Amino acid sequence: MLQHFDPKKDYGTPASLSEKMVTLEIDGVEVTVPEGTSVMRAAAMYDINIPKLCASDNLEAFGSCRICAVQIEGRRGTPASCTTPVDAGMKVSTQTDKLAKLRRNIMELYISDHPLDCLTCPANGDCELQDMAGAVGLREVRYGFEGNNHLHAEKDKSNPYFTFDASKCIVCSRCVRACSEVQGTFALTIDGRGFDSKVAAGQDEQFLDSECVSCGACVQACPTATLMENSVIDMGQPEHSVTTTCAYCGVGCSFNAEMKGDKLVRMVPAKNGDANHGHSCVKGRFAFGYATHKDRIKAPMIRDSIDQPWKEVSWEEAIGFAAKRLKDIQAQYGRESIGGITSSRCTNEETYLVQKLIRAAFGNNNTDTCARVCHSPTGYGLKQTLGESAGTQTFDSVMFSDCILVIGANPTDAHPVFGSLMRRRLREGASLIVADPREIDLLSTPHLGDSTHLPLRPGTNVAMVNALAHVVVTEGYEDKEFIASRCDTKAYAKWREFIIDERHAPENVEEITGVKAEKVREAARKFATAKNASIYYGLGVTEHSQGSTTVMGIANLALATGNIGREGVGVNPLRGQNNVQGSCDMGSFPHELPGYQHVSDAVARARFEKVWGVELDDEPGLRIPNMFDAALSGEFRAMYVQGEDIAQSDPNTQHVEAALAALDCLIVQDIFLNETAKFAHVLLPGSTFLEKNGTFTNAERRINRVRKVMAPIAGKEDWEVTVDLANALGYPMSYSHPSEIMDEIASLTPSFANVSYAKLEEQGSLQWPCNDEFPMGSPIMHTESFPIGEEGKAKFAVTEFVPTTERANSRFPLLLTTGRILSQYNVGAQTRRTENQAWHDEDILELHPHDAEERGIKTGDWLGITSRAGQTVLRARVSERMQPGVVYTTFHHPGSGANVITTNNSDWATNCPEYKVTAVQVEKVSQPSEWQKNFQDNHERQNEFLRGSASAHSAVK
Amino acid sequence: MFHTEEESIVTMINHIAQNNVSAGTESEVADMVENHITKFWSRRMKKILAEQLAKGTEEFEPAALVAAQRLSAKVSA
Repeated sequence: MLQHFDPKKDYGTPASLSEKMVTLEIDGVEVTVPEGTSVMRAAAMYDINIPKLCASDNLEAFGSCRICAVQIEGRRGTPASCTTPVDAGMKVSTQTDKLAKLRRNIMELYISDHPLDCLTCPANGDCELQDMAGAVGLREVRYGFEGNNHLHAEKDKSNPYFTFDASKCIVCSRCVRACSEVQGTFALTIDGRGFDSKVAAGQDEQFLDSECVSCGACVQACPTATLMENSVIDMGQPEHSVTTTCAYCGVGCSFNAEMKGDKLVRMVPAKNGDANHGHSCVKGRFAFGYATHKDRIKAPMIRDSIDQPWKEVSWEEAIGFAAKRLKDIQAQYGRESIGGITSSRCTNEETYLVQKLIRAAFGNNNTDTCARVCHSPTGYGLKQTLGESAGTQTFDSVMFSDCILVIGANPTDAHPVFGSLMRRRLREGASLIVADPREIDLLSTPHLGDSTHLPLRPGTNVAMVNALAHVVVTEGYEDKEFIASRCDTKAYAKWREFIIDERHAPENVEEITGVKAEKVREAARKFATAKNASIYYGLGVTEHSQGSTTVMGIANLALATGNIGREGVGVNPLRGQNNVQGSCDMGSFPHELPGYQHVSDAVARARFEKVWGVELDDEPGLRIPNMFDAALSGEFRAMYVQGEDIAQSDPNTQHVEAALAALDCLIVQDIFLNETAKFAHVLLPGSTFLEKNGTFTNAERRINRVRKVMAPIAGKEDWEVTVDLANALGYPMSYSHPSEIMDEIASLTPSFANVSYAKLEEQGSLQWPCNDEFPMGSPIMHTESFPIGEEGKAKFAVTEFVPTTERANSRFPLLLTTGRILSQYNVGAQTRRTENQAWHDEDILELHPHDAEERGIKTGDWLGITSRAGQTVLRARVSERMQPGVVYTTFHHPGSGANVITTNNSDWATNCPEYKVTAVQVEKVSQPSEWQKNFQDNHERQNEFLRGSASAHSAVK
Repeated sequence: MFHTEEESIVTMINHIAQNNVSAGTESEVADMVENHITKFWSRRMKKILAEQLAKGTEEFEPAALVAAQRLSAKVSA
């Protein structure tokens, strides 16, 4: 059976999922394929390739170009093979004189209205129209090129990344269908009829002005040069390609980096990518220009104090300088006076090495990672209830879900490729429940069926989740069989007694959440009665003072309804950064060694001590906020920060800045002079994901290879820098390739025991746990038991709602919540240095018309936003997406100072900051805040220090 | 919003106790708080907790106080 998957081959129509097989004959060859397969696909599976133009195997068959016509014995005419399903005993001919003539005639008509500039066309070498003209043997165009045509249609160059050249369009609708079926935005359409038919964006607008989200699906689908990447127009066709993993969000899309030598021409989503199946978003597809941006740090730099210009030095000098300072500080202030932060943007191998450096060479557990400020409650909450600090499903699992509950997440902006998959399932009929203060875009999914929005007040997630569970239990929707067989009886009994209490009834929490009780009851019934119900959540759950409680409440809800352990269900944290899951897995937290093995576990510690050759501390170290506090008290004096911009991303900026300024030695390893680096004494050039080998682990626990396509800009991959620093500190590290680091990880981490680069090459990707028990990995977890307790039973947790102390009052009457936007990524260091700025070049404060009117505010006004922590100034946008009393902003631009106003309130269990609830007042102002003025001054000064180093260096040369 | 590190440590232990108030009796809640702090707090945080306890007990929630006293005994032991 020739059904092996060839990622490069396009089979014309999607695969049929039928298990019933059908046998037929194509060109005399007997073929057997699943029922429902198209004739085109059946032929392609046996390498009988029928010409096609409007067909692509990621789109439903359309049958418009007619090039794929075939003849079928006993049937009249020449049916399109893409829209004709196979029948048992069918006899198909794909190459006859009649078909050859028909195809030539069709192609002749196409070409009569197509520019004949093939040699200078950007698609030259990658044009399906050209290929098909060759395949059908077109030799002349009898109609000539006079008369009405589209040859002089104007180009739309509004999108910064691609050009729409209507003169080359054959109106095959592939772009329109890709926008609808793959991306789910429905921004494109065919306007007009017959000869006047044309592709139109939005209401026949420029692409940039339309609803187009620039995901690139249309560009990829186009068989001609009509939709073409500007980089290909500029550079020509790539000559080789390397498959790697995107370094933006936690979806972890696979891309083919298409290259010319060491120059990246374009990133094309890989069809065989297990997380994205050939789809992409504007960031991964197009926003890679930062890798070669002029702001990249290209050489190591040092300085004695942060008031001095940088001095460019050799790697040896910089590493020696850093090591001496660290040793001197430890000699004077003690072993625990230094620490470090691993990066959720770097690879697993790099993260593993940084925490190893801290534990083994620094001799303490003062290691933490940015997951502290995003998903640490997920780690805690899921470990307590389900026994493993990770989501339970694959992304694909959503396609089996009948009811999707989204809490505090905005997948179409923050996890766009998964958002598109979710939208596809919603179009197929799954119902949607969104619990979020804002009306997120998912709620306006085209062709969405049954949906419910629970617009709860910020800070009331626990009350809402408890109310949903209360309805499930008191109205008799529990899955008693699942609970009896899979859950700990004692913990369940305790929880049940807690949750049936009337104080959790929707009618009694209505005052707290602001959501009508009947709406909550309806949502709970819908969730509980669906065959498969799944929960997806994001930082709107975790970044609260009760973040961990909500995570446990979510697990309770899934357990009570038996929605764990199979396709279409589960608890799914949508991880923020590309390797947040991996950085947690790799032991970045101060209390856990790799694989979530607690530092006090003597047996686990002994295994690490044996391999690492040192004695390890058995007490948890400092978490990020503790490091800041200890720095301000003078007990914590030095920090090694790899690929993380704590000065911009952590809350209460002024507190963070004071702490960083208090350090004697701050070593920052990054690709740019980020906000944290402005407080650094050693600046080590980082390498982008394009410049190194390694692995990332995405939100579905999928370990994917990152492959180097160009040399590191300053000569070293990030892991090599950590190795050098360890050696300079006198702790020997010796690896020649990240695969050796992964081998060490696998030897010490039970859930990674069978992971190796060889196996990743063989399988494409692996989802942990991947060990002797699950040799090929675990797409869905907890199918039979939970890794918790001796009996493997899940534990319900009692989830008391304790309101945050951050409350609105007469002085601060509004609640601010923060979030992300599609075109920018996290602190924006990467995306701000790309053309993505076209969509979002400043952070804006959104507020409800009622709140705006009360204050005389109009869209575009400058607003001072004041909280208990500080003040900043942003421009206003009046928006009905907000509910009255709630305002919203993003934090992608450092000068916005969004985190100047967020407070140091945090989750009770993990210290994850409460970014999502800050009481504020908003008023019209005419000038930037004091912090913003100081920020601008320091920004200019620090950039001058950097430029000084570069000019000094070039003067020496 | 708290202002000093010392305040934050007391706020945090109280916060843990409040969020687990339904874990059972005061002693059971104290067990939970004690286990949590043992498992997740650094040596330095535990030391500051003991120092704060030595200064006075009035800021502590009842279960948090029991836990703090047990933890403090371990730090000084």
